[in-house]
Amino acid sequence: MHIPDGFLATPVWAALDALAAPAVGYAARRAQRGFEHARTPLLGVMGAFVFAAQMINFPIGAGTTGHLVGGALLAVTLGPASAAIVMTAILAVQALVFQDGGVLALGANVVNMALVGVLAGYLPYLLWGATRWRRFSIFAAGALSVLVSAVLALSELLISGVPMSRAMIEISLALFAISAVLEGAITLAVLESLERIQPRLVRQPFPRRSPAFGVIAVAAVLLASVGVLFASQAPDTIQQLTHQTAAESSGWFTKSAAGLGGLALIYGACLLLSRVAGRNRSV
Amino acid sequence: MHHRILERWSRGTSPIHGLDPRAKIAALLVFLIVLATAHRSLALLSAGLFLLLAGGVFRARLPLWAVIERAALVLPFSLVFAIISWAAGDPARGLSLLAKSYLSALAVLLVVATTPLPSLLSGLEQAGVPRFLLLVGQFLYRYLFVIVEEAQCMRAAAAARAGSARAWLAGTARFGAAAGALAVLFARSYGRAEHIHRAMLARGFQGNFQKLERNSFRMSDAGFALTASLAVVALRLAAERLAW
Repeated sequence: MHIPDGFLATPVWAALDALAAPAVGYAARRAQRGFEHARTPLLGVMGAFVFAAQMINFPIGAGTTGHLVGGALLAVTLGPASAAIVMTAILAVQALVFQDGGVLALGANVVNMALVGVLAGYLPYLLWGATRWRRFSIFAAGALSVLVSAVLALSELLISGVPMSRAMIEISLALFAISAVLEGAITLAVLESLERIQPRLVRQPFPRRSPAFGVIAVAAVLLASVGVLFASQAPDTIQQLTHQTAAESSGWFTKSAAGLGGLALIYGACLLLSRVAGRNRSV
Repeated sequence: MHHRILERWSRGTSPIHGLDPRAKIAALLVFLIVLATAHRSLALLSAGLFLLLAGGVFRARLPLWAVIERAALVLPFSLVFAIISWAAGDPARGLSLLAKSYLSALAVLLVVATTPLPSLLSGLEQAGVPRFLLLVGQFLYRYLFVIVEEAQCMRAAAAARAGSARAWLAGTARFGAAAGALAVLFARSYGRAEHIHRAMLARGFQGNFQKLERNSFRMSDAGFALTASLAVVALRLAAERLAW
């Protein structure tokens, strides 16, 4: 699932590299906070653990096996910032030493698996880990992390113009769903065994957020990734819009002005909405 | 395991091994970007770049065929997408995917096979990558084989207790056993990390690895980075001009 070099269009990999670099720097600073040097060997060895975990096969039935991917497991045990650093280090080692994944595409792989994948995997646990939905939240963490990473990778390939038929996309989505369920089940089973032998290794989240917030947050993650997928299949909606309006024949200045105007409009609408929502709450 | 080969290759001596890691990283980035942004007359460009890399491998006194074979690790993934592109009626795109991913892997391999990991990491640090991330990567690489060996031992132990053949039928029990094994591996790795940290503190670790030799960026390094980059750019310009 690691994208090699040569697959992504230049704007895609360049943008994702530019996005990943400061995010990883921020995660590195956060992961270090309060632990000084003690954290370095721990994160390195846990990265080696994720590699080694691929050697232990889980039967799925019909003679096939799967293995742990690990983003959600690391997020629940080490915290999201440390998990992001461990996943980034794993992806870098795989790209450099094992020729698995490209160097220019490293930013894309880091965004998919180490940043968005880990955060999406931590979200359900953060929201429901301390409620009676705890087991479900761990399952959802594993499933969501794999699903979101895979959908993002697929979308990036589609945006870059790798030709794929509709049937091919449907087949890969079905495969993603299966591996997401598998990752959820493995994450849950491993964490439950781990809590039996070493309960201190699993972080406990604080119960404080309302369920509505949680539903909205998870829905936002799903919507964003599914939305990217749909957008990548039909990337010319805005172009159509410009064709319909008069901006078609005019130069780049009018087009960018129209784009900025649209952005300002959306921003204004959001601002208005938040004002209204805020007022309702304070009453 | 195939990682040992890379260790042995990177400890060789040659003009390319002797270069400063920063020069090689800069040349690699130029190579990758020039290749990734190329669209026209890819066949010609690929052939030229392949010859350039082969020359580099030859100059580094590495076994040419073994390097070519190892870079082919990327091909299974690319081949799947090449076939998909072919099926979607775009064979040229499939071929470009194959060529670009293979040549990029070969270029990365050439740099990694001529630079020992410690100096590669210090080069990356001097290039601005966060030191914490590099330290984590270094620990990961150092303990990768230790933990993988532990996992292999656990797998062998499970197989010796007939954890494979009959258990295919009793899927859930086997699933639980695998989860238990992973949990034990996790706890052991965690404990090992704590031991490592204490041992490092006892030996006076101060948050950074000391290297025996310093990297020094000489004129020859700058010359190499410049020549290699110019060669790549010139190849692309020539390929596009010829095809025009």
